[in-house]
Amino acid sequence: MIRIESEPWAEMVAHARETYPNECCGAMLGSTDGEQKAVRVAIRLRNAFEGAQAARYELRPEDLLAADKAARERHMDLIGIYHSHPDCDAYFSKTDLQNSCPWYSFVVLSIQKGEFHHANSWLPNVDQTDAAKEELTY
Amino acid sequence: MAKILIPTPLRQFTGKQDSVSVPGTTVGEVLTALTAQFPDLRKQIFTDEGKVRSFVNVYLNDEDIRYLSKDATETKEGDTLSLVPSIAGGSIVAAPPEQAALSKEEILRYSRHLIIPEVGIEGQQKLKAAKVLLVGTGGLGAPLGLYLAAVGVGKIGLVDFDIVDYTNLQRQVIHFTSDVGRRKIESASEKMKAINPYVEIVQHEVALSSENALDILKDYDIIVDGTDNFPTRYLVNDACVLLGKPNVYGSIFRFEGQATVFAYEGGPCYRCLYPEPPPPGLVPSCAEGGVLGILPGTIGLIQATETVKLILGIGEPLVGRLLLYDALAMKFRELKLRKNPECPVCGEHPTVTQLIDYHQFCGVPQASAAPPVQETKVNEGEIDVVELKQKIDRGDNFVLIDVREPHEYKICSIPGAKLIPLGEFPQHVGEFDKDADIVIHCRSGMRSAKACAVLRQNGFQHVRNVVGGILAWSDKVDPSVPKY
Repeated sequence: MIRIESEPWAEMVAHARETYPNECCGAMLGSTDGEQKAVRVAIRLRNAFEGAQAARYELRPEDLLAADKAARERHMDLIGIYHSHPDCDAYFSKTDLQNSCPWYSFVVLSIQKGEFHHANSWLPNVDQTDAAKEELTY
Repeated sequence: MAKILIPTPLRQFTGKQDSVSVPGTTVGEVLTALTAQFPDLRKQIFTDEGKVRSFVNVYLNDEDIRYLSKDATETKEGDTLSLVPSIAGGSIVAAPPEQAALSKEEILRYSRHLIIPEVGIEGQQKLKAAKVLLVGTGGLGAPLGLYLAAVGVGKIGLVDFDIVDYTNLQRQVIHFTSDVGRRKIESASEKMKAINPYVEIVQHEVALSSENALDILKDYDIIVDGTDNFPTRYLVNDACVLLGKPNVYGSIFRFEGQATVFAYEGGPCYRCLYPEPPPPGLVPSCAEGGVLGILPGTIGLIQATETVKLILGIGEPLVGRLLLYDALAMKFRELKLRKNPECPVCGEHPTVTQLIDYHQFCGVPQASAAPPVQETKVNEGEIDVVELKQKIDRGDNFVLIDVREPHEYKICSIPGAKLIPLGEFPQHVGEFDKDADIVIHCRSGMRSAKACAVLRQNGFQHVRNVVGGILAWSDKVDPSVPKY
């Protein structure tokens, strides 16, 4: 299960609302204790998708590398990626799955008409064929 | 020897170490040594075939090894390797299944889908949740509308403002003989509803324009272009790119057709293929050039297939590939299409960031409702068909020229007319007396107007164009002459 503390959670929701009607994306830093993950910091990252971003996002590896460095400097771990689905449910789409990575938790925030609606966390498998729902608290 | 930084989630495979130093003089050797030391890590980084997984990028210090020498990139003492996943995604075309539960009746109706593993209940729910806009309910729109309704696409929008005409029936199979004179959109909706009452049909009875396109398109997941004119094609393309929606494209001419999917997931768009429209009049429409009645069926169903694949997220979409179909040779060919980085709408530095005036862009006047032949005014340099008939009956000394094609002449002709197709017309100018009384006609008066202009430029004084062409002749002089 993954628990997001109130400060990073507020940051993620604010980021998703500000980016609406486009998709936002970012990194979640914190700590892992076995299956228990705790998010303590959310870092906004650039949506590098070339083209309309209403239904797409792309993270540049360099930005992710920088986020990983930032985590190490703060003695935290990079444990997940978040992104928003404007006017769409927080499911893990085919596009999400095919461009995912099994190492991280993927938190999807559903933003409906500019306001936060609901969120889910997903754990994709190594072959990118399926994603399991992970218990999420915030 | 190189140091490899281990991402948090992989530390469970490296005895909790956050970095590991292993021997090797190239990146390939280092990775092999790493996974030899920690075998459980292998599955995370390599596929069963031994290739680095698609989501793994390897960085040497701050640089991606893809831009260095890949696996063969040399590593020195003190170098640091990082494993960085490539991550992307998006909400595009996928169904929130809970909103699209299937009733018992629907399960029965779609049972032949449900037993295909690639479709199944989940796929059928995606179809039900999908929203597809068909631009045009003509040749391509007819098979598209019938089949997309049949397979259970939940919401289908139709854009058309035309009326069913006798000349449509040879190919637009969604309209029946009894529908002639009715609004196409109404005729099409009725058939689709009759095939499948579970689909919602939305009627947009308008001419798609720069003013209304974004507003209409934004509510749909996929746009299918079934139009036959360049202004609308560019309009649909640009609107799709701006909204980030796939444009399922098809076009037809006589015995040949094309299909592809534009503007999908960073793929090329129509403007990458054709940055500029052809000069007006160069590429004939179906009305001008004709089309084999079956051809739009073939191309429309390729478009329908691609639409369904996009919705289901299965197979290889027809993206970056232009499919060419030749019915006479019965051959399909494929051309590779690349995204043009300089493309004015989807390139790296787009100059078209909002919809423009597409009629001006294509150099063609705004399409208006077809003017009824009977009400056309006769201007200077023109002659009415009734006056032409009187002229013939009086036995006036004049030359009547028909500038249509020989196969059109075989369908019908005006007695005494000399056939010189417009394409050959300039070579024949010298055959006529500059002071002669010359009258020129074609099917509707467009081509003959061009021929008149050619003669006037060459100093001819008494040249007149037959207003409304042989169509008007059929209406007002001789109803036994067939219209086409």
